[in-house]
Amino acid sequence: MDKVYSLHDAVAKFVEDGDCISFGGFTTNRKPYAAVNEILRQGQKDFTVWAGAAGGDWDMMIGEGRVKAYINCYTANSGYTNVSRRFRAAIEAGKLTYEDYSQDVVMLQLHAASLGLPFLPVRLMQGSGLMKYWGISEEQRKTLEKVDDLKCVEIENPFKPGEKVVAVPVPRLDTAIIHVQQASPDGTCIIMGDEFHDVDIAIAARKVIVTCDELVSNEFIRRDPTLTRIFGECVSAVVHCPYGAWPTQCYGYYDNDPNALREYDKASKYLDAEDAVAQLAKAAVKAEKAAEKAPGDEKLAEAAARARKAADDAAAGVAIPETFKDYLNKWVYSVTDHNDMLNKIGGHRLMSLRNAPHLGYSNTHIK
Amino acid sequence: MADYTKYTKQEMQAYAIAKSIKENQIVIVGTGLPLIGASLAKAAICPSCHPIVESGLMDCDPVEVPRSVGDDRFMAHCAVQWPNIRFIGFEANEWLHNEDRLIAFIGGAQIDPYGNVNSTCIYGSGDYVKPQTRFTGSGGANGIATYCNTVIMMQHQKRRFMEKIDYITSCGWMDGPGGRERAGLPGNRGPQMVVTDLGIMKFDEETKRMYLAYYYPFSSPEMVQENTGFEIDVSRAELMEGPPPEIIKLIREQIDPGQAFIKVPKE
Repeated sequence: MDKVYSLHDAVAKFVEDGDCISFGGFTTNRKPYAAVNEILRQGQKDFTVWAGAAGGDWDMMIGEGRVKAYINCYTANSGYTNVSRRFRAAIEAGKLTYEDYSQDVVMLQLHAASLGLPFLPVRLMQGSGLMKYWGISEEQRKTLEKVDDLKCVEIENPFKPGEKVVAVPVPRLDTAIIHVQQASPDGTCIIMGDEFHDVDIAIAARKVIVTCDELVSNEFIRRDPTLTRIFGECVSAVVHCPYGAWPTQCYGYYDNDPNALREYDKASKYLDAEDAVAQLAKAAVKAEKAAEKAPGDEKLAEAAARARKAADDAAAGVAIPETFKDYLNKWVYSVTDHNDMLNKIGGHRLMSLRNAPHLGYSNTHIK
Repeated sequence: MADYTKYTKQEMQAYAIAKSIKENQIVIVGTGLPLIGASLAKAAICPSCHPIVESGLMDCDPVEVPRSVGDDRFMAHCAVQWPNIRFIGFEANEWLHNEDRLIAFIGGAQIDPYGNVNSTCIYGSGDYVKPQTRFTGSGGANGIATYCNTVIMMQHQKRRFMEKIDYITSCGWMDGPGGRERAGLPGNRGPQMVVTDLGIMKFDEETKRMYLAYYYPFSSPEMVQENTGFEIDVSRAELMEGPPPEIIKLIREQIDPGQAFIKVPKE
C-alpha cells in the first residue's frame, strides 16, 4: 500500500487535538522538526506528551501553548542551551502541568509500551525526589483523560518477598512522529546511527508519521533486511522531507546547524517584544546595582551602561532583540511549507552541514 | 612558544578526573569536563579504560569533541551502537553480576554532605511544582546514581554545597550508613568522589560524610571550608600536584583544540 502523503496532509489527518504523543530523536539529534513546524502551522493542541530526551522540538510546542501535560525527563538543546528556555519559563511561572521521571524510566516505559506490557516494575528512582514529589497530583491526574491516575507505586517484588520495587504505568500513545534517513512508500524504515526510542514509539503508537530524508522504492529498501528497523505496517504515513530534522543532526546525512541552534538559544530567552523589554529593564537595574556596590570597578560600570542602553533601546522600540515569537515567525509561520523553509535557509548553508562520509558528521559547518 | 607550565582551574579539574579513572574501568561520561578528562585518561593516563555514553554508544574514542551526549561525534570509532535501553540494562546487570567495573561522572546544581545531588530545581520561595529555578531534570543521572559508583562534578560554591538540598535527583549515601539500603537502593554502590575547582572530596567509610581529600596548588583547605555550606573535615587533606606540561599540551593540542569545553587564557 502506498502511504506517501504530503507533510500537510499527513499532519492534518494523523495529528489531532488532545493526542497522547511522542517524538523520536534525542535533544539535538534526528528530531522531527519538519513535522513539528507543520503542527505549529496547523494549530493542533492539548497534547499529553511523552517527551523522552527533548530539546527545541517540545520547547517550541510549550512556548506556543500546545501542551496540556508534559512527561519530562530532560529538556535541553544540550551543547547550545543548558535548559530549554520556554520549558523553564513555563515551569517557573507555574504554567506547565508536568511530571518528572528519570530518563531511564521513560525509555523503559516507552519500550514496555512497544512490548505491550500492562505495567512496568523498575529498580529506579527509589529514595529520590522523583518518587517523593508528584508534578501532577493524583486528584489532578484523575481529571486528565490521557494521564495515568498514579505516577508510581512502591510494591513488593512478588518473586522476592521483602524486596521493594517501583511500579510505573506504561504509556498508551495515540501518535508517534519520527524522522528517518530512508523510508519506502509501504512504510518500511531504515534508521542509521543511534535509533534512540524511535522503534519503540513506532510500534507502540496507534498513528505513526514517518518523515524521511530519502524516499526509496519498496524493492530497494529490502535489499538488506539487516538495515531496516521499522515494519511498514506500523506506519500510517510516509512523508518525503529532505533535511526534515533541521536544525538537528541526521547521522550519515547532515550535522546540526550551530547558527540556527544559537539563534534559537538567544531568541527563546524572550517570549515576545513585551517580555524582552521587561527582562532587559530588570537586567539593567540588576547591573546598575552591582556597579553601585563596587565603585571604581570599570568592567561593572561598563556592563551597567551597556545593559541600560539595551533596556532603553528596547523600551523606545529602537532595538528589540529577536524573540521566541520572532524566531517562529521567521522559520515556521512566514514560510508556506518545509520546502519554502529550505529555500530560506539557503543552498550553501545546507550543503555545509552535509556529513563527511568517513566521520558521520560535518567538518565544514560553520563552527 | 606556547607556555604549558601554566594551567587553568578547568584543566586541573580535567586532570583530576583523568587521574581518578583506573585500569580497565568502564567509564560513563557525559559531555564537558568529564569527557575531556576521560579522553585524557584514554589518550595518556589510563588507555585501558572504556568510555561509554548513556545514549548507548559503547567504548567511544571520538576524533572531535562531542558537544552533547547525543552528538554523532560519539559515533566515530565507537565499538557498539546500542539504543538507550541496552545501556540501562547493561548498567543494571553489572550490579546484578557483582561486577565492579563501572564508574560514572555526573553533575548537579546542589549537593549535600552525603553526596545526594539536585539537578531538577531550586525552590527559592516556591516549591517543586513552581520553583524559582528549573533545570533539565534527571536525564540519565538518577539511574546511573542508582546502579553505579559515581564521581560528582561540581563548582565549589557555598550556595551549591548545602546541609540540605531542595530536591534529590540522584541519590548519594542518603542520610548516612545504611541509608541506601533503607531506600531500596544497592548499598554497595554510591558516590566515591566529588571533583570541584577547589579540590577532591571523598566520603568517610564510617559516617559516609564528605571530607576533603586533596586540594590543588592554587587552593587550600581553608578555601574549601569557606566555600562549603556545611562543616567539612579538612584534617586529612593532602596537596595534589598540578598537571605536568605534556598533559596540558595534550589537552590543548589534541583533545580539545577547538576549546569547546576548556578555554585557554590568551597569553
